[in-house]
Amino acid sequence: MKLDRISQKSLPWVYLFILPSVLVFLIFYLVPIVTVFATSLTHWDGYNAPVFEGLQNYGRLFTRDSFLISLRNLLWWSVIAATLHVGFGVLIAFLFYRRSTGWRAVRAAFMIPNVISAAALAMIYRFLFNNDFGLLNGFIRIFAPNFSVNWLFQSPYAFWAVTLTWLFYAVIVTLIVHAELMSIPTELHEAAHIDGASEFQIAARIDLPLCRYSIGTSVILAITSRIAMYEAVALTTRGGPGDDTMNIPIILVNSITDLNYGFANAAAVVMFLLGILTLLLVNWLFKMNKRGF
Amino acid sequence: MASGGVVENDVAHRTRKIVFGVLTYAVLLFVFVVSAFPILWVAMSAFKDNAAILTSPFALPNQLNFDAFVEVFTQYSFQIFTVNSLFVAGFATIISLVIYAMGAYVIAKYNFPGKNLLYILFTLTLLVPPHTKAQPIFSLILDLGIYDTKLALVFVYISFGMAISMFILRSTFTSIPKEFSEAAAIEGAGFFRIFWTIHMPLARTGMATAGTMMFLAHWNEFFYALLLTTSPAHRTLPLALAFFTEAFSYDYTQMFAALTVVVIPGILIYVFAQEQIQTSFASSGVKG
Repeated sequence: MKLDRISQKSLPWVYLFILPSVLVFLIFYLVPIVTVFATSLTHWDGYNAPVFEGLQNYGRLFTRDSFLISLRNLLWWSVIAATLHVGFGVLIAFLFYRRSTGWRAVRAAFMIPNVISAAALAMIYRFLFNNDFGLLNGFIRIFAPNFSVNWLFQSPYAFWAVTLTWLFYAVIVTLIVHAELMSIPTELHEAAHIDGASEFQIAARIDLPLCRYSIGTSVILAITSRIAMYEAVALTTRGGPGDDTMNIPIILVNSITDLNYGFANAAAVVMFLLGILTLLLVNWLFKMNKRGF
Repeated sequence: MASGGVVENDVAHRTRKIVFGVLTYAVLLFVFVVSAFPILWVAMSAFKDNAAILTSPFALPNQLNFDAFVEVFTQYSFQIFTVNSLFVAGFATIISLVIYAMGAYVIAKYNFPGKNLLYILFTLTLLVPPHTKAQPIFSLILDLGIYDTKLALVFVYISFGMAISMFILRSTFTSIPKEFSEAAAIEGAGFFRIFWTIHMPLARTGMATAGTMMFLAHWNEFFYALLLTTSPAHRTLPLALAFFTEAFSYDYTQMFAALTVVVIPGILIYVFAQEQIQTSFASSGVKG
């Protein structure tokens, strides 16, 4: 690389300035990730030195019921996230794009669940779904006074109760898609109007395909959030009842607490690889390497 | 015949428009209710006694009784947890801003070998789920002898904002015209002076945005706070909330008061930095 004169003279400064960032990257990203991958192939309790044992941790993972249920839950949650959750966010983005009166107030409210702590949101839902004083059962009891269901602690409701804690909070999808909608040249809409296209046709045939990139990004974010979903489960059902709402982060944390580090890191590697798989798959499905305009 | 058709079309068109308008507002109202109502209900319940919470969940409180809030602070040490959260989030944010401003500045303004690779690696950290590094970071904190301290949380939180800060700050520094630094260099200003007296003041908006996003994330963090601390003396607010609701699940009013106390600051930060937070959510898709 050819360096200009000013750069050359200040090169020691440049390295001094980039050094802290490089250290953070090494200490908190590169070394931990390498450790996770390497020790996932070992038996390791954290005290004694890790003992290499090949893919045995992965064998144990994929024969453990709670892990297989976690994968099944993740699959369902990912499907729901990619369709209903992202679909809802896209719908709201299109409604915001039409500048209906009051859209700014709705946007501000829509942001609230995403700016408060995920732990607090999980708590709020624990209260909402509470059988004694919860809002949901309070509402249902207006019509059926003897109604009684513990939404988060009874099968098969728990899975859907956990799903509801995130399903409608799609403001990130809305913001990303809205930003891309705003960048569509207005000439396209004017041309379509002149050709006699209706509002709905313009939205469905022109705007929606042009938002492919942001919708693809939203699907990736929605699914990776499900892979890493911790608070929404740990602070409500803890994976129960039975293993109904079990997921990989819960298994990972439990294994660390049990001093089963190799196994915990095998679970971490699976999370990591599922994230990369999602990224590649969605990139390919949405042809995201080619921009629409 | 022709004119009749036009009128009919017009009526159909207008009906469709009305139906569409009604549907639009129904959906927007739903969004508003599902987003704001749970929190309003929580805040409202904090002013009711146990009996009112059980019998009339939808009613407004009869009086503005702040007793539960006072008790949460005076009897259950929420003032300590609040100070802990401020300390951890504040220091982690300030240190992160210094580190990433320096890094983003040289990436934006200077050429050096490996620059593009570093920028790509730094922003790729966005894709690493924080939980996957739990064991190595847990062990690192143990090895450093800072397990169960606020310092451990500050240390770990510094790494959280890497991708988003690099993203925001690099574009901030890139947008500052290079004529400024060239003029200063001709006047004899050195590297550090050009950075400190020319670029930093001009990068205020970007620094504020990155700082807000990081502070919000640190303030809300639960997972590593749970993993790296045990004693109440080092508990942050989200963690304290989880312990509190386990221990005092019979006192509904106080649970709602505690929850309100934890939720309000995040909302306040958002209210004051609405535009910045929305823009950075939209551009990078990072959850706070």
